[in-house]
Amino acid sequence: MVTVLDAAPSMAPLFARAALTARGRGGDLPGTRLARRGVTVDPAEVAAYARVCRFPLADALPVTFPHVLTFPLQVALMADRAFPLALPGLVHVRNRIDALRPVGAGESLDLEVWAERFAAHPRGATVDLCASVSAVGAEVWRGRSTYLARGARAPEGAPSSDVDVPVGDLPAGTVRWRVPGDAGRRYARVSGDVNPIHLSALTARAFGFPRAIAHGMWVKARALAALAGRLPEALTVDVGFRRPLLLPSTVRLATAAVDGGWDVAVRGDGGDHLVGTVRPV
Amino acid sequence: MSSPQPRRAAVLGGNRIPFARSNSAYAQASNQDMLTATLDGLVARFGLQGQQVGEVVAGAVLKHSRDFNLTRESVLGSRLAATTPAYDVQQACGTGLEAAVLVANKIALGQIESGIAGGVDTTSDAPLAVGDDLRRALIELNNARTLKDRLRAIGRIRPGSLVPEIPRNAEPRTGLAMGDHQAITAREWEISREDQDQLTVRSHRNLAAAYDRGFLDDLVTPYLGLTRDQNLRPDTTVEKLAKLKPVFGKDDPAATMTAGNSTPLSDGASAVLLSSDEWAAEHGLPVLAHLVDAQTAAVDYVHGGEGLLMAPAYAMPVVLARNGLTLQDFDFYEIHEAFASTVLATLKAWEDPAFCKERLGLDAPLGAIDRDKLNVNGSSLAAGHPFAATGGRIVASLAKQLHEAGSGRRGLISICAAGGQGVVAILES
Repeated sequence: MVTVLDAAPSMAPLFARAALTARGRGGDLPGTRLARRGVTVDPAEVAAYARVCRFPLADALPVTFPHVLTFPLQVALMADRAFPLALPGLVHVRNRIDALRPVGAGESLDLEVWAERFAAHPRGATVDLCASVSAVGAEVWRGRSTYLARGARAPEGAPSSDVDVPVGDLPAGTVRWRVPGDAGRRYARVSGDVNPIHLSALTARAFGFPRAIAHGMWVKARALAALAGRLPEALTVDVGFRRPLLLPSTVRLATAAVDGGWDVAVRGDGGDHLVGTVRPV
Repeated sequence: MSSPQPRRAAVLGGNRIPFARSNSAYAQASNQDMLTATLDGLVARFGLQGQQVGEVVAGAVLKHSRDFNLTRESVLGSRLAATTPAYDVQQACGTGLEAAVLVANKIALGQIESGIAGGVDTTSDAPLAVGDDLRRALIELNNARTLKDRLRAIGRIRPGSLVPEIPRNAEPRTGLAMGDHQAITAREWEISREDQDQLTVRSHRNLAAAYDRGFLDDLVTPYLGLTRDQNLRPDTTVEKLAKLKPVFGKDDPAATMTAGNSTPLSDGASAVLLSSDEWAAEHGLPVLAHLVDAQTAAVDYVHGGEGLLMAPAYAMPVVLARNGLTLQDFDFYEIHEAFASTVLATLKAWEDPAFCKERLGLDAPLGAIDRDKLNVNGSSLAAGHPFAATGGRIVASLAKQLHEAGSGRRGLISICAAGGQGVVAILES
């Protein structure tokens, strides 16, 4: 069943509702699909997003930007009582994007999201929140975010989750990022992702993190922005979020050219925060 | 030992983004964004993905100090090979043409086989600076070792010094806006309001016609929703322009310079691909024209009694004499329209026996040109004038115009610049 929404749902109330209705959830994934039709982006929002993620301002949307368009629909899906897992505390562990062609900032886009692949994980259960973006009837962009619900249980007979993205050997990395303490708040403003674990140390502590953590999608976006001009026109970028990037931090970006694309890692002193691959489609 | 014989650098084509009016379509774009987009457009047009060119030379007039390596940073973000060297130049409004001359000279000497010359400017995303008082106080604060020193540094900061300095289009030594300088020249040369407005209308009509006949299809790449220059008014008329109030030289009751016959503040970028003939042949790219020669000049507009924007008038006889040419030996003239009156005063000066004898030291005036050959595809009054981007716009457009006219055609470029400077160049197909 596809429910078409007229506008992007407002996310702060959704997070609040999801927190209030977190208890007592269970069962299987709903078959619901949420959609929006004929969406055009606001150039000022794209510019603000590009600035925070360090993308150059070009005629094509930043390759990660459609995630920001589809994410509110995914949150709406997860905030609904029919969704079996509690949204607060879900951890983004993997994200794969298939950008089938560059998407122009002026294009009219159709968005559709759904959940699938409820799977068992050694530390709980994972679920994939999927998104498909089309322009003039043809799919141009796909996203798949895998979330881990710690301590949750996948239904009987569920497959094992698949959260590892293998990469080859990478150098130590010569690109250094000083990630400031307000990186989470800055990304929240341009993405709408106001999950409290990213906003302040106080709100992050409530969910078991010692300090606020960077959005995984910001780390991914910034890694791709660092490769601007060196990416295939159509690409698949698949990354695993290994360990949270506590704010503030200084981290390194390591890259190696592989198979017409790249292997990448964002590394901190304690280990890798993100590892992933970029390949031409 | 004899040095290698210089060869002529070829102009293969160009790319620019449509020019935008200040604080409009490109309000969110930085110089680096625009230059990178322009380079990528050029790369796409000439199939240079992943390739190394000999050198990329570009610049911006309004540039933040953090953009010290603007061109190299833009190259690193573009689809050119990351091993392409680059450097920045800045010669006010002459930047773009000077960049092309520098690239052409290295090609002529055999130091490089190919190169890209460009320029970019934004008056929207302008580099604000803190005032000099605040800047000194902050440096002192940063260097302070003791609490007492810190407090003294903080104590030097006055509320008034917190207002940032916005870059102004004014000459540091005279405090006059460029337009107010030009108003003096316009008055001295008795350039009429009607003539200025007529030249302005012609610029808009010629540029509109150039777009309509597809001339700009392979010179311009759309950017951030713009497909044509935002300042272009194809339907403007002398009657409409006559209604505008003067904005420069307003102390004179007979002031003539308006927002219509002066270029607006604008944002944009341009790039030109140059190479040796051999490189062009290897890459299967047709040569549009060769850059034959160029000349710069400067005038003393502060104490010497010459107009701020009159330097090209002085550069021209030098480059003509060196090449054995007269001012009439050209098929097309590109005189940058900083202001309509700049073009008209320059042309009048070349026709004036007294000016040519006393100021230029010539026995006879350079003479008049055929006005039908002037700015045939429009110029800065219609397109707008993102300072450093204008030279690249003109070089690419003139090279294409010469190529279309056939082989052996000559074109002349004249660009005035702040600081009393000017750059002129000769192209030949």
